[in-house]
Amino acid sequence: MRYDFTPAQIAWRDEVRAFVREHLTEALLAELREAGNEGKGPLADRFILALRDRGYWGLAWPVEYGGLGRSAIDQWIFVDELESAGAPMLPLTVTSVAPTIMRIGTEAQKKEWLPRIVATEVDFAVAYSEPDAGTDMASLRTRAVLDGDEWVINGQKMWNTMAHMATHNWVAVRTEPDAPKHKGISMMIVPMDAPGVTVQAIYVWPGLRTNALFLDNVRVPRDHLIGERGMGFYYAAMALNFERLSIGSVGMIRRYVRELVAVVRELRVDGQPLREHPWVRERLARLAVDIEVARMLGLETAWQLAQGSVPAAPSSMAKVFVSELAQRAADAGTELLGMNGQLHPDEPAAHLHGRMQWLYRTAPLLAFGGGTNEVQRNIIAMLGYGLPRK
Amino acid sequence: MQLTFTPDQQALQNAVERFCQEQVTAERLHAWQDQPRQIDARAWRVIADLGWFGLGLPEPSGGSGLGLVEVACLLQECARGLVPRSVINAVRGGWALARLDAAASELAEVGRGTRVVALAFDEASASDPAAYATTLEDHGGAPRVRGEKWYVPGGLSADYQIVAAREGSGVSLVLVAAEATERAALRTFDGEEQALVRYAASPVLRRLGPAGDAASALRAVRREGTALALAEMVGGMQAALDMTVAYVKEREQFGQKLAVFQAVQHQVADMATAYTAARHLAWQAITRIAAGTEVGLELMHAGAFVPQAFKRITTAAHHLHGGAGYVVEHPLHYHSERAQALCIRYAPEAPALATIASDLLD
Repeated sequence: MRYDFTPAQIAWRDEVRAFVREHLTEALLAELREAGNEGKGPLADRFILALRDRGYWGLAWPVEYGGLGRSAIDQWIFVDELESAGAPMLPLTVTSVAPTIMRIGTEAQKKEWLPRIVATEVDFAVAYSEPDAGTDMASLRTRAVLDGDEWVINGQKMWNTMAHMATHNWVAVRTEPDAPKHKGISMMIVPMDAPGVTVQAIYVWPGLRTNALFLDNVRVPRDHLIGERGMGFYYAAMALNFERLSIGSVGMIRRYVRELVAVVRELRVDGQPLREHPWVRERLARLAVDIEVARMLGLETAWQLAQGSVPAAPSSMAKVFVSELAQRAADAGTELLGMNGQLHPDEPAAHLHGRMQWLYRTAPLLAFGGGTNEVQRNIIAMLGYGLPRK
Repeated sequence: MQLTFTPDQQALQNAVERFCQEQVTAERLHAWQDQPRQIDARAWRVIADLGWFGLGLPEPSGGSGLGLVEVACLLQECARGLVPRSVINAVRGGWALARLDAAASELAEVGRGTRVVALAFDEASASDPAAYATTLEDHGGAPRVRGEKWYVPGGLSADYQIVAAREGSGVSLVLVAAEATERAALRTFDGEEQALVRYAASPVLRRLGPAGDAASALRAVRREGTALALAEMVGGMQAALDMTVAYVKEREQFGQKLAVFQAVQHQVADMATAYTAARHLAWQAITRIAAGTEVGLELMHAGAFVPQAFKRITTAAHHLHGGAGYVVEHPLHYHSERAQALCIRYAPEAPALATIASDLLD
């Protein structure tokens, strides 16, 4: 049992930290606050390209695809450092879609798509959900029918975040209508400029933009079906697993709580230092403990991955705990800032640039998104402890 | 980073687990309640022959010379298998004596389980040495103890006591023979043998550390004691979780296993999540204390979380077992009692949170 990083892991962490110190400028942080996720902004783009030029896009990709082939622990360190510093995160194209293509695509498909991803010619939005297929993704109804050498796609997708900026969409479609519902789905790449593709903005509570995607007789080449026909449900699960590796990270919350603590140390209320209030001390101490708890769940996930296991239960534990911790942190953060906690981010007097109330509005998404916490708890019970489905 | 035990540590745990499955049955635990040490003499001897009492004692004294991590492995499995607290406290007492005086002549018998050391630190309403009423007096150049120690684990039957007492403006640690003291039983809700010990100018066998300057030694012994308690808690948690998982897979209501109900699955998931995090927080603290590589508040983070998680897990385990786990013959209540008893004795939440808050804000 050793919880300390190895010298090589410490060297890697320091390398990532040095990169962040050099590239995460005040101007970039201001741009990130300003832009939300509606526009990535020129400085964020430059940061992401700098990550690529250092080879960090392929951090966990196999060496044969130009990756660094680093371990899951190294990947965890990387995500933790970037989140904790408030840096832009790698896009899903790099962390979720590309690793899936590497594993399931044909040789021709890998040659077609991976170099274009690295060259930033291709950037994906991800389309699994539909109006009537959310948590129950296998019930999706978007259809693709083969017509000669082309698939003809019809249907509607929901929560297609970043679709208005992406070049392509990674879409789950039903290709085998007569097969059982889990076995009739395929993964397809749809260029956003294909005729019949329409994107409609949807704004959600924290002010973030996501989209509905309409596919009306959209035609794509036959080889845009990635991997095998009928395997799409499992490919989507694989891609979601890759995605979840970063969702369970507590780096963002650690940063917010660190900034909150810095503010609380300076504030005086009614002439008294706020930090002397017993209730304030207790709530902040509890958050500090919970951040360590979340860190351990993340490490267990990374450790199991590094040992070659599929860490279904611990990654779900981390996701559940971190998402619910985000709600507690935001609740404490807004409330103990007192009257100031209600201020809008655009209000110059708002402490932490209003990030605590932004987190208050964002935290529910973390719990119901990325697979609801109910499903995650079922996964822990079923895959971790063998409780039966029926 | 290495989040698994070494093969030797795993083998030790497996051996203790095997012993517990064979020897520490629910029927025996129930029968042992009438014994002074909650265990019969034969089982005590078997444990002594297995070398548990000498595991962490120095080799020149006949011990195995293993470290805090191995002793924690032993106690984790003892707690999981509900080995009576008298055994656990004897291991703790021996470990503390060896840490304070590795050449103590008493260690040979302590390691064989024929003599037991108790730790007499707490008082009726003081655990901070600055607030101790018990003092060391000078009797013609020889120190003697005057005062009272409360909540002394194993204190009724132990042969020696390590006593912490004020001396001048500081604190001292001394070894006292039990027969030089007056001992009265304190009944505890988990059945742990405890004593109220009175010292009326009790002579001292030997000093353990410099006169009036043992505060840091006492702190170190207590921190290791807390680390060992964390290992015990992890073992108890695992037992409560495992028996609950087994029970909900077997018990049927409404024509199906309890395990298929989502409300049940979600409680199991929360128990498992708390256990997973608690296990790592505890072992991070234990291994760093053992290696002397603490970087911050590992022990406080574990102390604030692990006992609370243990209590939540046992409470949920009772809920999911219903009446079946509520009868005295069922072993679950032993874990539930230990959860709160260990929390009170070794890792209450309030001081841990206060230390963490102070680190953040002061």
